[in-house]
Order: sequence, then structure tokens, then C-alpha cells
Amino acid sequence: MIIIKCPYCGERDQSEFSNGGEAHVVRPNNPESLSDKDWGEYVFFRNNPKGIFYERWVHSHGCKKWFNAVRNTSTDEILKIYKLKEKRPEITEFKNCLKSPSGEPKVGSGNFTVKK
Amino acid sequence: MTALRNHNCNYISNVKINFKFDGKSYFAYEGDTIASALLRNNIRLVGRSFKYHRPRGIYTCGIEEPNALVQIISEHNEPNTRATIKRVYDGMVITSQNRWPSLSYDFGAINNILSPIFSAGFYYKTFMGPKGFWKNIYEPLIRRSAGLGKPPKNFRSKSIHQNHNTDILIIGAGLSGLIAARKFVNTKYKVLMIEQDSFLGGILKNSNKVDTINGLNSSEWLEETEKLLSKAQNIKILRNTLVTTYNFTNHFVALEDKFAGKKIDLNKSELTLHKIRTSNTILCNGHIERFISFRNNDLPGVMLASSFEKYIHRYGVVPEERPVIFTNNSSSMSLLNSMLSLGCKPEAYVDSRKNEEIETDIKKILKENNIPSYFEAEIEGCDGNKKIEKITIRKGKIFIKIKSSMLCVSGGYNPDIHLFTQSKGLLKWDKNIASFKPDTPFQKTLTLGSVSGNYNFNKLCDEINEKLSFLNTAKLDFEIKLNVSNKYSIKELWETKSKINSNWSKSFIDLHNDVTIKDLKQAISEGFDRIEHLKRYTTNSMGTDQGKISSINSLAVVSKLLKKEISEVGTTTYRPPYAPLSFAAIAGRSTYEFYDPQRKTSIHSWHLKNNAVFEDVGQWKRPWYFKTHDKETMHQAVQRESKMLRENSGILDGSTLGKIEIKGRDALEFMNLMYTNAFTKMKPMTSRYAMMLGEDGMIKDDGIICKLSDQHFIATTTSSGAPKVLAHMEEYLQTEWPHLQVYLNSITEQFSTFNISGPKTREIMRKVFPNIDFSNEAFPFMSFKNFDYKDTKIRIMRASFTGELGYEIYISPKYGLELWEEMFSCGREFNLIPYGTETMHLLRAEKGYIVIGQETDGTVTPIDLNYNWMIGKNKKDFIGKRSLSRPDTSREDRKQLVGLSPINKTDTIEEGQHIVELNELPKKIKNPIKYLGHVSSGYYSPNLNHSIGLAMIRGGKNLLGKKFFVTVSGKTKNIPVEVVNPVFVDPENKRLIS
Amino acid sequence: MKKKYSIASIVKNSFSNNERWEKMWRNPNPKKHYDVIIVGGGGHGLGTAYYLAKEHGVKNIAVIEKGWLGSGNTGRNTTIIRSNYLWDESAYLYDHAVKLWENLSEDLNYNMMFSQRGVLNLAHNEHDIKEIKRRVSANRLNGLDTMWLDKNEVKDLVPIMNTDNLRYPVLGAAYQPRGGVARHDAVAWGYAMRADELGVDIIQNCEVKGIKTDNYKVEGVETTKGFIKSKKIGVVASGHTSVLAATAGIRLPLQSRPLQALVSEPIKPVINTVVMSNAVHAYVSQSDKGELVIGAGTDGYNSFTQRGGYDVIEETVRAIVELYPIFGKMKMLRQWGGIVDICPDASPIISKCDVEGLYFNCGWGTGGFKATPGSANVFAHTIAKDEPHKINAPFALSRFSDGRLIDEHGAAAVAH
Repeated sequence: MIIIKCPYCGERDQSEFSNGGEAHVVRPNNPESLSDKDWGEYVFFRNNPKGIFYERWVHSHGCKKWFNAVRNTSTDEILKIYKLKEKRPEITEFKNCLKSPSGEPKVGSGNFTVKK
Repeated sequence: MTALRNHNCNYISNVKINFKFDGKSYFAYEGDTIASALLRNNIRLVGRSFKYHRPRGIYTCGIEEPNALVQIISEHNEPNTRATIKRVYDGMVITSQNRWPSLSYDFGAINNILSPIFSAGFYYKTFMGPKGFWKNIYEPLIRRSAGLGKPPKNFRSKSIHQNHNTDILIIGAGLSGLIAARKFVNTKYKVLMIEQDSFLGGILKNSNKVDTINGLNSSEWLEETEKLLSKAQNIKILRNTLVTTYNFTNHFVALEDKFAGKKIDLNKSELTLHKIRTSNTILCNGHIERFISFRNNDLPGVMLASSFEKYIHRYGVVPEERPVIFTNNSSSMSLLNSMLSLGCKPEAYVDSRKNEEIETDIKKILKENNIPSYFEAEIEGCDGNKKIEKITIRKGKIFIKIKSSMLCVSGGYNPDIHLFTQSKGLLKWDKNIASFKPDTPFQKTLTLGSVSGNYNFNKLCDEINEKLSFLNTAKLDFEIKLNVSNKYSIKELWETKSKINSNWSKSFIDLHNDVTIKDLKQAISEGFDRIEHLKRYTTNSMGTDQGKISSINSLAVVSKLLKKEISEVGTTTYRPPYAPLSFAAIAGRSTYEFYDPQRKTSIHSWHLKNNAVFEDVGQWKRPWYFKTHDKETMHQAVQRESKMLRENSGILDGSTLGKIEIKGRDALEFMNLMYTNAFTKMKPMTSRYAMMLGEDGMIKDDGIICKLSDQHFIATTTSSGAPKVLAHMEEYLQTEWPHLQVYLNSITEQFSTFNISGPKTREIMRKVFPNIDFSNEAFPFMSFKNFDYKDTKIRIMRASFTGELGYEIYISPKYGLELWEEMFSCGREFNLIPYGTETMHLLRAEKGYIVIGQETDGTVTPIDLNYNWMIGKNKKDFIGKRSLSRPDTSREDRKQLVGLSPINKTDTIEEGQHIVELNELPKKIKNPIKYLGHVSSGYYSPNLNHSIGLAMIRGGKNLLGKKFFVTVSGKTKNIPVEVVNPVFVDPENKRLIS
Repeated sequence: MKKKYSIASIVKNSFSNNERWEKMWRNPNPKKHYDVIIVGGGGHGLGTAYYLAKEHGVKNIAVIEKGWLGSGNTGRNTTIIRSNYLWDESAYLYDHAVKLWENLSEDLNYNMMFSQRGVLNLAHNEHDIKEIKRRVSANRLNGLDTMWLDKNEVKDLVPIMNTDNLRYPVLGAAYQPRGGVARHDAVAWGYAMRADELGVDIIQNCEVKGIKTDNYKVEGVETTKGFIKSKKIGVVASGHTSVLAATAGIRLPLQSRPLQALVSEPIKPVINTVVMSNAVHAYVSQSDKGELVIGAGTDGYNSFTQRGGYDVIEETVRAIVELYPIFGKMKMLRQWGGIVDICPDASPIISKCDVEGLYFNCGWGTGGFKATPGSANVFAHTIAKDEPHKINAPFALSRFSDGRLIDEHGAAAVAH
């Protein structure tokens, strides 16, 4: 159970929050002008990286505010939390957290138990 | 074979109690575990093994026990209880497990005779035919002989949970844990210390290794420390508590046995599950001794050396006066000391190390006491019937046979790395201790003392001072004097070679699951050369002990067989929990009446008094129907309610309907985006039936929208959909359209809501609210008004879900019941009846109204329901609009809403059945039968006097008047139906708008 | 079949102290080039290789696995097998699998221990009843053996179940007698052994780092053991599929979530049916060893850690104790997690894509194990013929643009 620091309420258990999937996916301004394929992409397709992931959370059992987070999905470490109005942090900010090509971290994934 | 009492032991009382094991009465002292009590009574045989049903005894003195699992009859038959942990109380009734008809004569032991064919992977290679034999013959046989204890009986869980937030969590109150804790006495840190035993002290209590600390003898130092810690306001200690789970972000689960050593009150919660969050974790959970594999290393009488010692010091019982000691390391010194101080002399001492590798202190003691000693020797095996009778020592090429009934074995100490690896830390192989030890932590985890691989007592304080220095605690220095050599030395020894190469000879590598070294060899030869494969193929270390005393041994054996370094082989994943964790404790109090909250309306007590039968709708309790007398069936009640309403009037408690207030400058624009309908031209103080879609174009929810002004709306939602709809609105408002100035507020609980409808409704309303003009002109359909009522305010809306003239009344729940009763006293002369959800569903089906979740299932668009009129075509955008023009959603032959009427009016259209073109189905359907759709609602209409159905069928819009068949459950003959307009009652809406 | 297992072979080997069993599969080094490469050595991947070799005569095949055979979800699931899905497309696909399961032990001469002890899906409210009755009727027309049982019939099958004295009483259930459980690891091992016999190279401990394409055609895979050429690549890597797809520039509508399961200590037989419940969320069966095998829910966020939240475990155990009060006296032995790839409509993708020679079999979410042989079988067909089998044609990637979704949220017993 990870801890999430709600920017409005402070640190709380993850079970108080709901995840809203990938962040910074903007709803098309004029959906009618989109092709079926492009609209389908917007509705159903979201990035699913192993490693740095920009995502949305809502403090659903608290203040009900939405906010963004950057999380390493291969270790569940939360690297940054920022309000919706704040600028999306550059991925280079987290480059030290990036691991092997497949995103497998050296420690913390549970796929290895012994130091190589 | 006699056990002795150690009268110097202070942790066991002199109070004698009685318990029963396999029907016989035995004595114990208060504080005994089942195992120590059984040993005290010279009981060695306590169970049968999992696979071969071999006789097994007590192997250890703690949580690591692989063999001594018993069933507690006096506690709801609790199975698989560790005899080495569970305390005895007066009157306790215990039986052994996995044997039939008795522990001594177990029929299942035939498996041992057949064991050569029960090799690794045995089940995968046979039992494959003939067809049906697996299910009917083989599997039931296998299942019956597998398993351990019998199922529990008559139990209802009562455990509770407790939460802790702390700065420092210390796990283990042994020597290193206590020293660490003393560093935090009266500091700013909030400290929680957890100990699995009922006493603090660990090694200070379990052995006599430590002589003095700072000049105090170990029990004096312990007393001083306990006093200090208990006085410190910032330190809390939990005893009898085992940490089982180390989750992410330093979250822990620990289980406290509230009745350890006391008679259990079956009416009370016996377990408390602690959930702990901490900033820093200090693991002081010590080490676990491992065994050595040799021939028949599972016979009752084989025991780990440190466990033997623990029985002496912790429980005051010397399991056997003259055992044989077998070791590969220096820890034997302490056992020798303990025994000799009580006047017990080992029958023989066997050390696999060379003469020059063995500590001079040990050699001196052996010599002084004339103990037969064998260096650079090993145990070849032991023999006996259900117990050790004879032990064979191999020294070079010579075999020496010794008579003894007990063998104390030490294969060395493993740091207890389970919790550390649960936390996702990485391990490293340490040659000096021949074991894995913690290396890189993943969380804020420190390891102190033997869990960190430091078995060196005089470096303990330095280690603790250094590792805790970042917390700026005071330096502590204790001078620890030992009775034994301070340096731990070990020579790797994992298995000894058997002189007998028989198909039946066995050296176990996993006692719990009966895995032998031969099984490992065979598995490797078959290609299972990865440790996880080996584990799964042989079930090695998958038992209830998770291989605590043996898993490192198996890694070592495997690495030798594979000719690889042990660090290359790696370990299997250590999975939580550390030891089996009670389901009752995990569940806690939130079961049965507390499983999920029950939401009740303000009218609930009236419903109860009036014989309502309730239905669960989400968390709500809603009246399903009302019984006028005991024998009235649901069908009768619903038919009565439905008829009465269409003739007179009926009232439904609709308070559960979700209600959301939408307010703000841009409320109109927001509503136009959220719902399919166009709200711009809608007049204030009118309402409209509306649909909410997902972006995929599928119907999500529906409800009536009241427009108070362009800046103020109230939306109703389905009863169970309310939270989802509000969350959906909030999400779009905050994340997509933050520029819209709109505020949302859930007001479901702010109102009691009544839906009254039927031809006599207007007269009733006039009587209840004499000052309000209910005429059609003043109060037309789909309008609403606010009124003063007594000293509160009410809102009345003209709307109906039954198709009759109807009103919805909103009032503060404080006045809800009063008004409800008032309506009945006024309505009595008009035969006003209460009705429930089932009647509501029937009446709305007669009217062709849909229900979310019944006509819709996440794949239905408003167009499929012929609700094109609800779609604001001129709106540029609303959620889901674009999806309605995708190729599949605009198909002509989608499933569409129609009505079904039976051709033979006595036939019943069953809900959930399908529409087909065949009048009869084959008895056995081999090839799929084409169907057009399904019956989404099916009722017997008392107003039409026949069965009716709403159905979603392919291309339904163009099939009006066509004849098809509807299947009947359990019958092959289908019933003929006609596709009709889904509105069966009042298609012209005369009643509705009258 | 070269390796023939039977009671005779077991007795014979027991005379030689079980020291002469043959290797089940080779451990080859990868060749430079293969006709087909399957990425992912779980049941689905190994099965695909087996059917490609056996039914389509493809000779030069490799299965590349990052860990060890069956180390992903094949060895982490709760082994439930059933086909009582609502929509025709799903019913055909999953029943294709059940039919293959029924003969798989004999076909591979390796005992999968497929135990057709029946599967119950409980109804706890009126809505559940309606949904289940509709499903029973649809299943019947599709030739499936699903039936509706009332509360008493459920109680007869599972006497220890608490049907009345709980917050959401048991009102009835869907029952599919042909459903059941199987030994999950054996599926991977059995397929691996027979695929290996047919010449398939099974390469373990070899991680695919990327898929190389040129002008919308696949060229091969970059691995930790070097580049391997192939004109056809099938990706069956469950939770990691979208990560691999991204290296070929393909986006898939998948989200990877932790899904947890747990087992109790072993006890003597106490429950002889598989029981699943949506509203009181838990599913349970008893393994042949005697352990209760219990499935929990997915976590609500993407993760590749193979470890979910403890709250999910608590929620599941609460439901178990609610439905089976006596299990409160039992203990959890192990808990673990896998990474499942979830599709927006809770149905899988078995499909070609915009890159020629690249095929995906993914999106199985919480229900992939039951489909293993069926999925492998139609995927092999899709790869061999470069066009889908009629059973998997509806499970194409294109459904997310044309809108022809197969929404099985109701049938997947796990709350998403």
C-alpha cells in the first residue's frame, strides 16, 4: 500500500484515492472532426509504460480533488506530485530513475532477490 | 528416554494443568507450549507427514516448525496449529493430524512403502486415463490422502484491528532489539517494539550464552532494561505479536495473540491484527537454525540443537538426558554448557569440522567431561520404529553405531531474511556465515544483530551505534561477556552421504512437504534447473513453514548439483506472510452485520411496521413489495399493488434516488456537455428526462434534470449510480473544463423523496396541500415548484415513472416520516397504497420505460432505445456524441428496444430468455442457435391480463408486427410472440398529462 | 511422442532410483534466424508454438522467455476454467478452450489434472439474478452447460457456505458443471515438452528488449542474447505486451495492473466446487493438495511490481469469511501478485496489426488461464495463415476504432 501525498490534505494511504489513468491526455476540442481511428485512440488508448508514468489521482475519499503524479510503475515509487494547474515536469527530471530498457529496476521489483 | 525438569527456569510456573492429546490426558505447567508439554510427558510422535505419512516429532521450538502441527479440538477444530508456538491451557483438547485410524497405526503409511514411485512429478505422469477416471476415482483419492488437518467447525470470527503510526518500529526484542530500544528512551521518537514471545530477551532467555552485560547478569540486565523501557513515555511494546507482512512504504501487518497461555474465552476476540506505518524500520528479528540432510533425518527424536537448548532455558524441560549432538559450527558450545550445568551428558558429540577448526574451549569441555567425540565426522543416518533407536556416525571409512533416542542437529544459523526480502531488499551471500544476509534495502530498513549476519556479540554495540547514528541518538556501550567463544565459525555441510543406496532410503530436504534430495536430483535431470521450477515441480519449501529451516540448504544442494555459485542460483521469492496468518484476523470486525453499511431512508421504520420485504439496491435497503398478510406471495402482492395504483393511487419511497446540485455561472454549458439533452431552451422551473453517456457513446445513467435557472440545476440519478455520476461530473469539471465556473454538491441525503402516482393522486395532493393549485394548467407535466410546508420547505415536481398522473415530493428527511404518514391519513379514503420497487418496475415496463442496468448493459446507446429525441443534435459536443457515429454504433441492425406480446395470452415471457426463429429447441444443443436478442424485462401485466416483455433485438425497429419465439428455461418448446411497440399502456400519454 | 509417461514408466524408473528420467526440454542457444518467434514462455506462448509446429507444420520456431517457463501469470493464477461468457464471440472462444482442455492431458501425455468439478457464480441481489439468468439462457443457445441453481441447490453443492446470515445473502447461482480447475504449471511444462519434441527452441533467461521493424514489416527481435531475425513475431507477454509493442511503434489499449491471489494452509477436502462471487468479492476452490486457492481483485492503478495493495487482500479475505465463516479459523499461507493486461472491454486482443508479420495475443485481464489452449490454438492459426481463425476474428484490434466491442465486464468475475 503506497502512500500518496495529496497536495491539499497531505500524506494519506492509497486506499483513500482513486487512480484516473494517464495524465495530460486532453479531450479533443472538436471531436466531430476526428477520424474514427483517432477518436478511438482518444477513448480507449492510454500509455502503459514500465517506468516513468504521468498519471492522475483523485482524493476520492477525502477532498475529492484531482491532481497529477509521476510514478515509477516498476517500483511504485512516487517521484513527484503536482496540481493540475502546474506545468508537466520534464521527463529528464527523473532520468536517474530510469532503469534497464525493459524498465526492470535493480532493487525493488521483486523479480530478483539476490544482488548480482 | 526421559525428559527432565530444569528447576532453574523461571519462565514456567509450578501450576499444573491438564490437557488431552489424542484422547489421553497429560499434565503441563502454565506457560508451556503444546510441544514443551508433550516433551515433558515424553511424547515424541506427534503427527504424520504430508505425502508419505511418515511418523514425525517435534523438530524445533518456534515458528519454524515443519512437523509438529496439531488440531485444536477445543477451539473450533482449528487445524494445522504449530505445537511449538501454541500455549497449553487447562482443559485444552488436541489431536494429531493426517492419520487414520490412529497416529501409531496410520493406513496412509502405505505411501511410504510405495514411495519409490511417488517420485517428483509423479502426478503429472500418470492418472491420465481412461476418461472420467481423474474426476471420479483418482482425484478424490488423492485429495483425501492430501491435506493435513480436518476442516474447522462452527466458527464466527470476532477479531479486531488496531492502527499505529510511529517513527521507529523495532521488530524483535532480543538483545539487539533491546539495546536499540534503549537508545530511544525518552527521545523525540515515537517507538513501537514488537516481540513474538510473551517475554522480552530472546537469546538471553533461550540460552545461557550471555554471562553478564555491564557487570549485571543477563536476567538483571533484562529487568533493568524492561523497567527503563516501560517507564519511557515514547516507547510502546507489543508482546505475543508476530510481524507477518512487510508491505511497501513501511506498512506492516502484525498479529497479536490476546490469549497466549490463557484459556480462550470463545466469546471474545482472541486475535488483534495491528496495521503499522512507520518512518524507519529496525529489523532485529534474529536468525533461524538450519538442519542437515541425512538418512532418516525426519525421525521423531531429531531436533535442532538451539531448539533443544531453548526447551531447557525457556520452558524448563530437558527433552532427553543423553542425546547425540551433531554440528558443523561453533554454536554447540552453548548447548554443551547448558546440559552439563544440569548434570546431563551427551551420548556423543559429532562435529564435521577438522580438529584444528574446532574451538579449543569446546574440545576442552568435551575432554573434561569424557564425552565421546568424533571430529571430521558426520551422521550417516538414524534408524528406529517411529522414533530414533540407533544413530550411525561416519568417520572416514568407519561407521559407529550409537544407541540414543535423540539427535540434536545444527547446520548453522541463517539470518532471518524473510521480512527483509518481503520489503524488496536485495540479499548477498556471505561465505563467513555460509548464508544469505541483507545487502541493499529498498525501503527505510535497518538490520541489527544476527539478522544482519553479525553473530559477533562484542561488536554488537558498535554495529548498533553506527547504524543508528543518523538518528542522533546517544551512544551506548555495553560490555557483553559470554559463556561461549565470541567468534562464530562454520564449515559448510548440507547433506551427508547415505551408505544405503536403497529405493526407500530418504534424506529429506523439506520435511513439511516430504521432499528428498533425490527428488531435487531427479527434477534437475528432467530439466527443471531453475530454482523456481524446482520449487514448483517438487513442492520444495512450499509447506506451511515455507522451508524456514531448510530452504537455504536446498539452494546449496541445488547449486552443487548445477555446479553453480549459490548466489547465481538465487533464492525463490519470499512471499508474505512470514508465518500463516489467521483469516479471521485479516477480516477483522467488518464481517456479517458490519460487512457493508446499510443505508436506510427516513421512512424505514414505517416500512418495517407495514410488512415491507426489502431488496438490496447498492447499500440501500428498499421496500421490494408490501405484504398485506403473511401468506401473500410476492407475485400476489405485486399484482395487487400494480392494479391498485392504476385504479387509485400509490406511493413509493424514492429517497434513495441520487440527487446532485449543479450551480454556478457556467452550469448550463456544463449540463449541455454532460448530458445528451439540450438544456439551453428549457424553461426555468421545468424538468426533463435526460441521459448521460460515457465517451464510448454507451448509456451510463439517466435521471430527471430540474432547471431552476441557467445557473442552477438539480440532477437525479439512479439509486446505485449516484456516487459514480457525481465522480464522473467532478472529473470532467476539474480535469477537462476547469475554466467552467460550476460547483457540484451531493444532496441525496438532504431530501426524503416520495413518488406518488395514479388517477386519484391529484385529489390526495389537494387534501394534503390544500393551498396548492394542482390543476393541469397551473402545474403541468414536467414542471416543479417550491412551497412552504409547516416550518420547512418542500419541492413538488410533476413527474411519473408509472405512466400515471404523478408527483415527486422533496422534503427534509427530518419531516419525511411526518409527511409520509400525513399522506396516508389523507389518502386512506382514496385507497392510497404503498408500493415497492418490483411494482415500480412492472408499471414502468407496461409504459415502456427503461431501467438502467436492465434494458441497458453498457452496450446500449440512446438510439438503440429509440430515444433519438433526447439527443441534442444541434449541440456541438457532449460526452459520447462522437462515438454515436462510429461504424458499429450507427449500424441499422444493432439490438434495439421493442415490446413483446405473447400470441397465446396464457404464455409467460421470461426475463433473460432469448428471441429465436425456431418454435422448438433440440434437447441437446450441439451447434449454436442463432438468436435475435434477449428479453430485458418480463412481467405479467395485471392491467392487460397477459405477460409482456421488453426486449433488445437485432434490427428491432423494423420488425414491428413480426412473429418470433421466446425460449423458456428448462423447456425445449418455445413460446410464440409478436414484436410490438414497447409502450403497452397509454401510448398517447393521456393519463400522464391529464 | 518420444517421452511416454505412464504408470509403467514410473515403475521402471523407480527401479533405477529415479535417476534416469529424460530431460523434458533442451536448453538451446538461440539461432540467428527463425521462421516464427514467440515472445513469452507462458502457457499461451508455448501452446502457440506447439500448435504452429503440430497443426501448421511450421518447422523453425523459437519461444523466447525473459525468466523461466511459466514464470508470469501462468504460474500465478487461481486456475479456474469455465466458458460461461455472455456474448457469443466470447462463448465460442472460451468453449473452444474448454473442449481442448478436456483432452489436453491425453493429447500431451502429461497430466494437467483438469478437474471438472463445476463452477458456481453466485447471485446476491436482484440485479445479479437478472444478469445470471440472461447469461444462462444465452449459454444454453450456444450449447454450453450453464444452468441456474436456486439457493438450496447451491447449499447442497457447498454445505459450508453461509447463504442466509450475511449482509448480501446468496440468492442463487449460475452453475457450469464442465468448468473446474487445472494444475497451472503443468500446462506450461506439458506444452514446452511437446513443442520441444517437435523442434521448437525454447530459450529461457533471454529478455526481448525490442522489436525491430522496417517500413511496417518486422525484421526480428533485439534480445539480451543478441539480435534474432524473423519475419513473423507473435507477442504473448501479458502485462509486458504493451511495453514490447511500443518498441515497434504500436500502441495497444492495455493497462497493466497487479492482480493478487492467496492460498491457505492445506486441509482435508472441504469444498468440491469452484465458487465465484462478484458482489461479495472473492473466488475460491480447493487444490488437490488441500489448500484453499483464493483470488483477489485488481488494484486500481498501473504497476509492474507483481505486488498489489494489502487492502485488496483484506477485502478478499473479508468476503471469504463472510461466505464461509469456518474459514476464519484457517490461515493464509502465501499471497502473491501478477501483472495482468486489461482491455477497455474486458475481452482479449488476438490480432494482426499495422506492422506486417507482427501479431499480438494480449488483454486477457484476469481471465487468461482458462483460455490457454484455445487462445494458443487460434493464435497459431492467425500467425500461420496471416489471417484470424473465425473464432478470433472478432477479437481484432480494429474494434477499438469501429466500436464493435465485446463488453464482458459482467462476466469477468473480478471487479475492475
